[in-house]
Order: sequence, then C-alpha cells, then structure tokens
Amino acid sequence: MPHSLRPAERGAGAFGESILLIGPGAALLIGAFLFPVGQILVLSIVPPEEGLSIWTNFARFFEDDYYLRVAWRTFRLSVIITLVTAMIGFPLAYVVARTPRVVGYTLLLLTVLPLMTSVVVRTFGWIIALGRGGPVADLLSLAGLGARDATLLHTETGIVIAMVQVLLPFMTLTTLGVISTIHPHLEEASRTMGAGFYRTLRHVVLPLSVPGLVSGSLLVFALSISSFVTPNLVGGVRLPVMAGAIYQQATSTLDWNFAAAQSTLLLAAVLGLLIPYLALTRRRHG
Amino acid sequence: MTHLSKGALVAVAASLLAGTAMAQETFVINSFGGAYEEAHRRLVIEPFEQMYNVEVEVVTAYSADALAQLRAQAENPQFDVIHFSGGQEVTAAAEGLLAPITPDQLSNYSQLYPFAVEGLEQGQGPVYSVAVLGLLSDGEAAPTSWNDLFSASNGEDVAIADITNTYGLLTLLMLNQVRGGTLDDIQPGLDAVTELLDNGAQILSSSPEFQQAFAQDATSLAAYAQDYAYTLQQAGLPIDFVQPAEGSPGIYITANVVAGRPNEELARAFVDLSISAAVQAGWAEALRYSPTNSTVELPVDLAGQVVYGDEAAANLVRFDPVVVNAQRSDWTDDWNRAIAQ
Repeated sequence: MPHSLRPAERGAGAFGESILLIGPGAALLIGAFLFPVGQILVLSIVPPEEGLSIWTNFARFFEDDYYLRVAWRTFRLSVIITLVTAMIGFPLAYVVARTPRVVGYTLLLLTVLPLMTSVVVRTFGWIIALGRGGPVADLLSLAGLGARDATLLHTETGIVIAMVQVLLPFMTLTTLGVISTIHPHLEEASRTMGAGFYRTLRHVVLPLSVPGLVSGSLLVFALSISSFVTPNLVGGVRLPVMAGAIYQQATSTLDWNFAAAQSTLLLAAVLGLLIPYLALTRRRHG
Repeated sequence: MTHLSKGALVAVAASLLAGTAMAQETFVINSFGGAYEEAHRRLVIEPFEQMYNVEVEVVTAYSADALAQLRAQAENPQFDVIHFSGGQEVTAAAEGLLAPITPDQLSNYSQLYPFAVEGLEQGQGPVYSVAVLGLLSDGEAAPTSWNDLFSASNGEDVAIADITNTYGLLTLLMLNQVRGGTLDDIQPGLDAVTELLDNGAQILSSSPEFQQAFAQDATSLAAYAQDYAYTLQQAGLPIDFVQPAEGSPGIYITANVVAGRPNEELARAFVDLSISAAVQAGWAEALRYSPTNSTVELPVDLAGQVVYGDEAAANLVRFDPVVVNAQRSDWTDDWNRAIAQ
C-alpha cells in the first residue's frame, strides 16, 4: 500500500475525519431515533394507575385474546410475505445479474420504479384493482375462477399481494448485490461437470446467495411486521395488524402507555431476529 | 480537523435555531385535505392572509391526528388554530390545550345559533359548520329509515364508516338509538353493526374509500355525510342523500385557539372570520356544509341541500359531547372486538 499514510498521521487525521463523517448520521440517529425510542420505552413502563407494576401495560397485552390474535396475524402475514418475496426476488435478482445489461437494468428499473411513488398512492391502486368490480375480480370471473362480485380487498391474501409488491425491491436489490459477486466461472464449471441449469442454480448459486437472501429477508420481515399503511388500507379495519392497532391507540383512544408497550414489543420482536443474525455474520466474517 | 467538525456543529445548531425562529413567525392551522382544504383556502385562509398580512401554513391533519399532535406538542405548541370535526375540542379543552374565547372577543358571536357557542364556557371554540349524517344511495334503493340498512336486497352493497372516523362513531350511536339503546348502553348499536356485517356489509375508514366503492359499484347504500354526497355528485356519480325519518346526527366542526402560542389575538381573528355569515354561506355553496350563523342567506335550491334555518337546525340529533368523549375510548375497544375477523 504505497499511497497509505504512516500510522501516526493516519491516526490524527482519521479521528477528525471520522467524527465529521459520522456526525450527521449520528446526530440524526440520536435525535430522530434513539431519543423517541427512549421516550417510548419510558412511556411503556408507566402503569395506568399509580402503584401498579411497571409490567402492567405488557401484561394487558398478553392477557388479552384480542391483542394476541392481532400479534399472531401480524407475525404470520410477515412470514408469508417474506417467503413469497424471497421466492420471487431470488429468481428475479438472478435474471437481472446474468442477462445483458440493457435487459437487466430494464427489469431492475421496473422493480424499483414503484419505490418512486408514494406508498399511499400505490396502495390505493391496489384498492381499486382488488376491489369488488375491479379488474382482478373481472379477470377471475372471465377465467371462471370466481364471481364478478368476488373481492380480494379486505382479505389477508390481498394484504400479502400488495405488500409483496411494495417490498420486492428490497429483497431483489439485496440479493442482487450478492449474486453479482458470484463469479460466472463457478456456474460454468458446474455446467461443464455435467450439472444442468436448475442443479447449478440449486447447488451453486443458491447456497452462495444465502447471505443476500438472509439480509433481504430480515429487511422485508422487519418492514412488513411494522408496516401500517398497506395492511390498513388493503386489509381494512376488520383485519387489524399491530402497527395499525398502535396507531389507533395513539391517535384515537389516546392510550399512549399501552401503545408504547406494544411498540416496545414490536421492536423487541425485530431485534430478536436482528441480533442473532448480526452475531452470526460477525462470527462468519471475522 | 477538529475546528472543521466544530464548524459543522455550529452550522447544524444554527440551522436548527433558524428553523424554530421561522416557525414562530408563521401562522399554523390544520385543515382536512382534498376538496375541503381547497375551499378552506379560498374562503378563509387566503382572505385572512390578505386582511392581516400574514402567511398561513396549512398542515393536513384529520381531527384525531390533530389532537394527537396537539397533545404531543403540549410543551411547545406548533398550531395557532386547530379545527376538529369529531368532538376532540372537549378533550383538548379539558387538557388545557386550548385558549378559552369569551363572547366579546368574537364580533360575530351574537349571530350564531346557541348550540354553536355552547362550548365556549368550557374553553372550546365555536362551531362554524355542521355536516349531517344520513344515507347515501345510488338510486337503486330509496331508503327512508335507518332500518333500511338492514333490509337492503344485497347486504354486501351496504357500507358504513369505521369508528375512528367521526361518521362511523355517529352511525353506531344512531343505530344504537334506533334500536333502543342509550349512551350508557351501546350494546344494541354494536349488535346492529354485527348484524350488518353478518349480512356482508363493508366497513371503510376514509372518504376516498367510499367514493371508490360507489364508483366501482361495490356499494349502493352507505351511512355517510351530506357534504360528501355532494362531492360524489360533483365527481359524476348518481348519489342521493336522504335524511332518515328517525333524524340525522350532526358533525359539529369547530375552530379553536391553541393555548401557549404567541399570537392568540390573531388566532381569535381567524376564528371570528370562520364563523362570519359570508364564509359560512361560502361553505354551503362550495361543499354543502350547513351553516351555524343565523344570518346566512341561501338561495332556495341550495337551502334544500343543507340543514338551513332555526327549525331544521334544532332538529339535528346531538349526542352529549362530554359523554361521547368520556366513552369514546371504551367504545372504540368494544367496536374493534365486535368487528375483528
């Protein structure tokens, strides 16, 4: 490394530089994330009446069948959404990585394009598409698969469809990053040794893509378990998910302490997944 | 390098300070978005800006969100005037978030119907518009009673609003009253809603969802607001509004002065302008909101499309806002449990 500085010089300069580089991010993280999250943690342990245990708000959640059902739906849907996104996102990322640039970039653009519109606008599109008398119902009835009155609006299937569209770019981009680092020679070697296309995909590309798939899945899971606009609009009020329930308690019933307790549980669920993953990847890489 | 990072810190701090300084100079209100906000700008906000040479910043926030924001900002309020359509002024006033207004501070006070200024003593702002809840029909059904919701030929064609929407709360209370319930016991109302859902009815949260449902023929009968029926007609949909025989609850829209802001006098001037006869006539004409100012004069065809005149105004069903606010949270919980699948 002929162009690198001597250790002493690098030490002095790098410190100032690091502070400068990390400053805006750190300020934003502290001001816009750590501080409010801290407030939520404090709110969540304030019991509704003085003298009660600090766990009162949490106990209320676990003792109530209604909230447990909401939590179960949130978790179940997030798992399904993550699986479906991975099943669509992996082949898509592979195609983007291995086709000529123009085709790949066009596909990528089409995947990322929805991110350029507001989530509310996109979701409202789904309301129209999935609703009674909407194009999806029309298609299904043309294909003889259901009445024209049939609707996917206000169903869990509808939530999954709309969420997969919203979250697909996150899975595709993350997986694409890893697949593009897999050298095509590995696949060529596998093919020369007599493995077919699918066998190569299954035994060479897929195992090597696991880090991308895992981080993509974590991202998609964390985003879908905490998502609120799409499940609320497409799923409707009769299929509440946790983020929607929290929003309602914060704005409508004004029960901030209970809302904070639920937010804390949601955060704990996401961290419960992230921390083992970080620990695992650290062991692998260093 | 260290002096550079200090410089950066100073720059960040300076921009933050500049932000707060600027925020204090503008006059901030909330409005309800869409066509409402457009009319709000034309009728009140822009004339106000010219009269008082002030710049008004409009934050789009429905009543529940607006109250949540107001509470969160209790220490450092960011709104000057706040508008509520769901009775949130009762809570806000009780929590000391609003600055009380006295009759002598409003030049248009004496022109308002008594119901519009009832809340002033409790520290709430005056009612400047009334929206009326009734039945919206696409012409296939010709409803006359709240009970027609239950006898619709196709139960799936019926839509009502969610309880987080003020119209949904009032639908629940009105059905409750029709079924013999009282504000102390809303079980008959909840049973009525469950019956509608068992028939296949949909629950929608927001106004655009109602428009979409009517436009796609997913709904032919809905419990919703008179002004929104007019919005749908303007959008080309053949929607009729019916005030059922049992009566119609009103949605009382208030303009309130926020406590702890530097310019309360200007805020009161804004409220005073909001309740003036000219502005209220404008609301009736633009969006079919019913006036609360007794001196408003409307042409005959327009008068038939709003609740107009002393007698009609007195016939509106009003549920005690104090009880409603005290119970809202429990009712929301009961409602959620009743409707969840």
